[in-house]
Amino acid sequence: MKARLAAAFVRLFTVQASWNYERLIGVGAGFAAEPLLRPLREGDAARYRAALARSTRYFNAHPYLSGVGVGALARAEREGVPAEQIEHLRDALAGPLGSIGDRLVWAGWLPTLSALALAAVARGTGLWAVAAFLVVYNAGHVALRWWGLSAGWTRGVRVATALQEPWIRGAARILTPATALAFGFALPLVALWSGELFRGWARITLAVVAAAAFGLLRWRPDVLSGLRLGLVLVAVALVAGILWR
Amino acid sequence: MSGAFPALLAWGTVVGLDLVSMPQMMLARPLVAGAVTGLVLGDVASGLRLGVLFELFQYDILPVGATRYPEYGPATVVAVAAAHYAGPFGVGLATVVGLFTAMLGGVSLQMLRRLNTRAVAKAAPALEAGDVGALARLHAAGWARDLLRGAAVTAAGLGLVVLTIAFVAPALTHHGERVLSVGATAAALAAGAAGILRIVGRGTALRWLAVGLVGGVVVAWLS
Repeated sequence: MKARLAAAFVRLFTVQASWNYERLIGVGAGFAAEPLLRPLREGDAARYRAALARSTRYFNAHPYLSGVGVGALARAEREGVPAEQIEHLRDALAGPLGSIGDRLVWAGWLPTLSALALAAVARGTGLWAVAAFLVVYNAGHVALRWWGLSAGWTRGVRVATALQEPWIRGAARILTPATALAFGFALPLVALWSGELFRGWARITLAVVAAAAFGLLRWRPDVLSGLRLGLVLVAVALVAGILWR
Repeated sequence: MSGAFPALLAWGTVVGLDLVSMPQMMLARPLVAGAVTGLVLGDVASGLRLGVLFELFQYDILPVGATRYPEYGPATVVAVAAAHYAGPFGVGLATVVGLFTAMLGGVSLQMLRRLNTRAVAKAAPALEAGDVGALARLHAAGWARDLLRGAAVTAAGLGLVVLTIAFVAPALTHHGERVLSVGATAAALAAGAAGILRIVGRGTALRWLAVGLVGGVVVAWLS
């Protein structure tokens, strides 16, 4: 069984490769679940095919936590849980697995480490900061993926209890202020480091334009994105730069 | 650039693939993409400079589910190449090329999702029949499409680098390039700060942001 779990774990790293508007990560989840469902084929081929078909249907989750669903649903199939109950579990898991993952990873672990890495680069640590970011981030990433698959596979239909484990609440509680603290710490250091490229009027212009642009982004977030603002600013600067002789 | 082109194309493709398809290990993060491109070109300083700049732009987006967003990974790869070949004060030109590539990357992601949706709809009967071969082929095809997408976006971005250096760079004076660099850096700082505020939100976290700001200012002041 360990080999099948390992195969499913490796496949989970590709869970979004066939992301689509119809089934979201359903096809990828089915692909990851297949090694866990394979023993069904030996006993009852029709049951295996029905289970595989179900496993490819609509599913959504944060990619790092998708293993919770893949493991739990495959376990339920293996234990012969009725199809309606499996479909119900699939629907019930999608929301929490998305929101918990977004909160823990996209809005917590990732921005915290990214901000710390930016601060470290601004302080002159260079490539070491980038290497440390990759190692530390992925230690958490791989551990979370493995925990998800093991928790799902071990608990099956009772997987909801895994999402109530104290460490999840604790991590969310710590990561929210940690992210804000890291961002706050990094911002002045990065601003200062970015300004080092310029002298005299250019540095003053940088501060004024950055402040005005920030104001615009806060004022009209519905119209302006960072990309749009960037394109407008560089277009204006490009014309000014060509005309200024 | 022709000597480094295959390595840049390969790295940009890996970066494009990492964003969504596999393995999502944050190789697509601008700081990482930029630093490695800098290593490839023997210009780590430009790699880190552009990596930080595009990382700030990246804070403006939260890549959740089906949201539309620009793709800053391959954009950073081509921006570092532009900065390297444009010479001193190439940050501005590099940002122009990078932002256009990011926009192109975002559009290509939408196209990829639509192509995947079409392929899934076509394969639906086989999937519903539990055909493991069809499932594997469908998933591998999605992966291959993203591989091609990453390569195409990087190649187009590198093409933009060549055109920019050939036609735009000679039109800029030293003053002009400085104005462009100021505009690019200001936009990145503004986008980063606005994105940070959006991620942090309101309430207690805002207080922690203030505490961090004070700490950062003190450290910057002491250095």
